[in-house]
Amino acid sequence: MSETITQQALRALVDEWIGAGTKVAGPSYVKKDLCQYVPLTSSAELLLEGFIHPRNSVKDFFFPRHEKIYEYTLKGHEVELADMTPASTPQVIVAARPCDTAAVAILDAVFNWGEKDEFYTQRREAATIVALACVTHDSHCFCTSVGIGPDAEKGADVMLLPLDGGFEVRCLTEKGKTLFAGRTQPSDKTAVIPEGPKVKVSPEQVRAALEDYDNPLWKTATLRCLSCGACSFTCPTCHCFDIVDEGNAHGGCRAKNWDSCQLCMFTKHASGHNPRNVQGQRQRQRTQHKFRIYPDKFGEVLCTGCGNCARNCPVSLGILGTLVELCAEMPKTVGESK
Amino acid sequence: MSNIYMPDLMEVVEVKQHTADVKSVKIKFKDPEKQAKFSFRVGQFGMYSLFGEGESTFNICSSSNWKDHIEFCFRKTGKVTDALWRVDEGDTIGFRGPYGNSYPMEAWEGKNLVFIGGGIAMPPIRCAIWYALENRAKYGDITIVYGARTPRDLVFTDELEKWAEYDRVRVIQCVDPGGETPEWKGEVGLIPNVLAAANVPAGNTAALVIGPPIMIKFTLPVLDRMGVLAPDIYTSLENRMKCGVGKCGRCNCGPVYVCKEGPIFTMEQLNALPADF
Amino acid sequence: MIEEIRQTCRTLLEAGTVNVVIAYGQSNPDGPVHPIFVTKPDDVEKIVWNKQCFANLTTYLTRKEVKSLGKAAILVKGCDARSLVVLVQESQVERSDVHVIGLACEGVGEPELAGKCRVCEVHMPVGVDVTIGSTEAAAPEGQNRYALVDEFMKKSPEERMAFWKQEFERCVRCYACRGVCPLCYCNQCIVDKNRPVVIDTSATLKGNFAWNITRAFHLAGRCVSCGECTRVCPAGIDLRMLNASLAQSAEKHFNYRAGMDPETPPVIGTYNAEDKENFIR
Repeated sequence: MSETITQQALRALVDEWIGAGTKVAGPSYVKKDLCQYVPLTSSAELLLEGFIHPRNSVKDFFFPRHEKIYEYTLKGHEVELADMTPASTPQVIVAARPCDTAAVAILDAVFNWGEKDEFYTQRREAATIVALACVTHDSHCFCTSVGIGPDAEKGADVMLLPLDGGFEVRCLTEKGKTLFAGRTQPSDKTAVIPEGPKVKVSPEQVRAALEDYDNPLWKTATLRCLSCGACSFTCPTCHCFDIVDEGNAHGGCRAKNWDSCQLCMFTKHASGHNPRNVQGQRQRQRTQHKFRIYPDKFGEVLCTGCGNCARNCPVSLGILGTLVELCAEMPKTVGESK
Repeated sequence: MSNIYMPDLMEVVEVKQHTADVKSVKIKFKDPEKQAKFSFRVGQFGMYSLFGEGESTFNICSSSNWKDHIEFCFRKTGKVTDALWRVDEGDTIGFRGPYGNSYPMEAWEGKNLVFIGGGIAMPPIRCAIWYALENRAKYGDITIVYGARTPRDLVFTDELEKWAEYDRVRVIQCVDPGGETPEWKGEVGLIPNVLAAANVPAGNTAALVIGPPIMIKFTLPVLDRMGVLAPDIYTSLENRMKCGVGKCGRCNCGPVYVCKEGPIFTMEQLNALPADF
Repeated sequence: MIEEIRQTCRTLLEAGTVNVVIAYGQSNPDGPVHPIFVTKPDDVEKIVWNKQCFANLTTYLTRKEVKSLGKAAILVKGCDARSLVVLVQESQVERSDVHVIGLACEGVGEPELAGKCRVCEVHMPVGVDVTIGSTEAAAPEGQNRYALVDEFMKKSPEERMAFWKQEFERCVRCYACRGVCPLCYCNQCIVDKNRPVVIDTSATLKGNFAWNITRAFHLAGRCVSCGECTRVCPAGIDLRMLNASLAQSAEKHFNYRAGMDPETPPVIGTYNAEDKENFIR
């Protein structure tokens, strides 16, 4: 036995949410060949099939790329500050891939340890995440290598599993039950989700390989990296940010902006000293942070295998390729001198 | 609910210029109640805001026993410090903190202390020196070795003289060879050499060494020969920071977030970290 | 053709003529093609040449990590060769320091040819040390190389503004466009300078307009239309339209096309008393 909903009924429900003033976001084609998670104005924009993974991630709705943290007004010697912590507004993320929903659960740890980041937690608490299980994957997907899978429920309030003409609906939390209450039909069918991508590495293997901090791989395999932030910014778990002031002589705002450890300015001191001056060091940092530092500190691997790093990399240098090389007995020697 | 990135407004009480590009600033909370409640431990740092320019990280260089204000010291080297240079008495700046760990002043009780600083590194040592002197009976012999390129690059020079007046305190000032002026009465030589020649008794000793990496590098072997070992040598890391509260990821170095688990580390701890600082 | 490419590279490495070959490779047969750096003669077997060889490898010639490998040979398509010409003209690359292997190219992208290839005029690269392969492919007769721009300019200014707002709205400021561009070689990019802040670093409409327009202007009279910025943008922004528009201006007003001829002095950086000023409004 299972609970199901037809695609038509689901779309009607999404339109109801939108009509009721709830912010709803989901995957959509924003232009030819570009699928992204975006705020939806109608369920007609929502993609429920025929896509692998949007080019961005759902972190955009919890940790936006630019966010005012307060506004300041300058008045002679005096300064006035206005707190910009967002009001708690209900939002629904619909048809999020399991690798994206899992990422949100993983990010909870860093935004909540010690001091709470209210910008993140307010949005998180007011959000309901409806995940959509994957029936296909591409060569970039590797969720199964990091302990997640095509129907992994981590971080989701509801899981939708494709079934002829509609979905099996699994409500996993109270929030999820409330959202779908009375909207599903009992059925004797249950969805069968095909296996995900073949397992290529294990987090334990990677963790062990990363013990060798000075692995020559960092000098070779990363040579082609162009030092941009495409991987970090489209990664569902990368969460580093900058804090900047922007305004004029009378006032302005202080904002949190996405930042990336791959950009050369990230660690550069005003004195000119840069602890991670070479791209290989920056690649190493990103990998270490995801598979050793974060797991050691927060108990979770900071990667959900979504493959967006490779999908969006100008030179196809995804983290999976690096992990595979790292775990191979001898690092391959592409580009190695001597 | 609270916005952890929201600074408190502070009034600038006093600005003091130390060298051609170093100033220290005394500030107090605009809200007297907050000033009264505020406490910190020496070695901790704060995030100081100049609105419209940004935030910068500096150690709180005053003693935690001083209740009516806090001080910080900066060198004019970047966007925020350029702007801070123009700050005057009566101006408003922002402050978040205190953040990070602190010097183990309790664990150091009963020990001899050696403070070694180079150039602009005196401020983060100064808070510990004052704290120790204000609790003079709790600590053994105190040796302060402070050097800079030239006499004009030394900061808090008036206080160096005050410290020397305390019982069982030895202050050794030095400038780099060639940096000395005709009036210079201190030592001439690089800090590691001056320290080596100073015959500092080093049993039961904790050392705090802050300065340029090259100075630290050559000072460590001297301390080692003196018998001060890595677990007893402390320093403060200066990784770039933005949030100060372990979120933004910038100060991450190996397993630690310097803003949370640092900035104070023993040499033993540093030796176990990757060299990303 | 691939065997000839590999053999040429092998010979160069074996003879010690170069220390590294900057080429195309593929980590696995189904995977994407990506840049590789071959330093051992036997590794030339990893080199591939197919319809997926989009990357303009000349972007690596100015990168310190790659320079540290020593003297390089590089594979270039006709469009890539044009950016090399500009790099040499702008004194970023010493031509004699690089061994340039030109590849006859009938276009990349499958099943559909990349947009730039459909109007390509440089199927046979110029200014190279050796050319491998040959092709009869040629530019369509009487084509308008700025057809896209002309079409776009038929829209009203309001419509065009609305288009760019929509495009720049998506920019996340990852700087993939800057990273991949061979001509974005500034030691410190203006957006990384903060005294003063000229371009907001925030990915807001204001900051994004400032960034993308500034970058386009910095490429005016320099961009060779390799199309890499547009290919790599994770937000799918149609950057080539901006660049093409400026290239059109350079051609219209100064009869200049970047990277077509090493002997023609670059339009930016050449003063001519006859220069028209009527484009300044």
